Amino acid sequence: MSFKFAIHHKADNVGVAIEDIKAGELVAGVYIEDRSPGPSVKALEDIPLGHKIALRDIEEGEVVVKYGRPIGKATRKIRAGEHVHVHNLVSTRWNFGRR
Amino acid sequence: MRTFKGYIREDGRVGVRNYVVAIPVDDLSNTAVLGIAKLVKGVVPIPHPYGRLQFGRDLQLLFHILAGTGSNPNVAAAIVVGIDESWSNKVADMIARTGKPVEAISIEGRGDLKAIETASRKAVKLVQEASEKQRTEVDVSALTASIKCGESDTTSGLASNPALGAAVDRLIDMGATVMFGETSELTGAEDIVASRIPDPALREKFYKIYREYVSVIEAEGAEMLGSQPTEGNIKGGISTIEEKALGNIQKLGTKPITCVLDYLDPLPPGKGRLCFVNTSSAAAEFITLAAAKGSVLHFFTTGQGNVVGHPIVPVIKITANPKTAATMSEHIDVDVSDLLRLKISVAEAGERILEYAFRVMNGRLTAAEVLQHEEFSPIKLYISA
Repeated sequence: MSFKFAIHHKADNVGVAIEDIKAGELVAGVYIEDRSPGPSVKALEDIPLGHKIALRDIEEGEVVVKYGRPIGKATRKIRAGEHVHVHNLVSTRWNFGRR
Repeated sequence: MRTFKGYIREDGRVGVRNYVVAIPVDDLSNTAVLGIAKLVKGVVPIPHPYGRLQFGRDLQLLFHILAGTGSNPNVAAAIVVGIDESWSNKVADMIARTGKPVEAISIEGRGDLKAIETASRKAVKLVQEASEKQRTEVDVSALTASIKCGESDTTSGLASNPALGAAVDRLIDMGATVMFGETSELTGAEDIVASRIPDPALREKFYKIYREYVSVIEAEGAEMLGSQPTEGNIKGGISTIEEKALGNIQKLGTKPITCVLDYLDPLPPGKGRLCFVNTSSAAAEFITLAAAKGSVLHFFTTGQGNVVGHPIVPVIKITANPKTAATMSEHIDVDVSDLLRLKISVAEAGERILEYAFRVMNGRLTAAEVLQHEEFSPIKLYISA
């Protein structure tokens, strides 16, 4: 199976699609740092190239981690394989009026 | 030792292009400047909307940008045009300190037509003199460059920015100077940038600049989604400012940051430096300010595709997004989508960027130059009087 998403850091709970991913596909990830195989997940929806896929279940209010760093928090429960984007992730730094 | 063929200027700095520019000191003088460029082949006009009734630090910054542009090593000679004699003279005098040929013209008491005629007669001579300037072999340590990403997406943070970071490391090892900016766009990664500034006083200066900048944004209390990140960023998969910042800093490479420059600070002489410059994260504003501080070559990574250029600085566009490389192919100079597909290493992608840069430094025109993208956007700090 070829890699369809990349993961920046071992601590990350999201990966980035390096090809368009279709709903229902079982896709494999690769750690970008050493190019070692990462987890595989079943995509629950279409994830366009460049968009994030949840590697595991993320609870509402939980920090979303990419590059091994917080990039915001989940505004609702996100299941493994779901698309992670502005509909379920907000900045904790600039989130005026939506905190 | 790597070399390129550049133009050695009167003050010893080295350019990669050889322009005669016509710079208006205010918006009213744009017509005259465009008139000169119409009459005399080889004059690059640099119109802009500012100048009138600006004051204080804001006006100083405009003069810094206009004089810095005229002083840039990519410029052989400059013509400065203003409605008032005193402002034209002031900017021309600042340019003259580099030893570069410069002429100042005022419109008041003459009108546009006479000003255009007088300036054009001088421009003819300046262009003919510039046309005989020769490229000379110089060490790459003479290069001052700048880096910025735009219309970024997550492929920028994954591939094109790390590739540029590898190229930046190589350039700095060879003694070149590289400037980066985008103050607001460090939010979420500002501590990482600060930790790379070894000098405690400079680190404090960086934090002060960062806090002041961001306090202006936060005081507005506006919804930033759609601005930072932009709609293009969001389309490309970037969800938050933190994610954008962490992707952004991938292009800084690994070298220590040894100078921190506020808007008005000139780039101090030196070699092999990575310099932070306080700027907005808007592409044209950053490239304009970096050029004013002496950048002669700009590296621009893009995810969703950005078309920015500059009147006198070649902008090299790099993308790792295969869709963008295909749909905006005429804008892309270096395609590193092989890195996104894991076919090449970061170091190999960096080398691809570097090889292309040497071709541009030696005279190859970039996509932005051929497509006549000449964005010039001075930063404005506050209201005019």
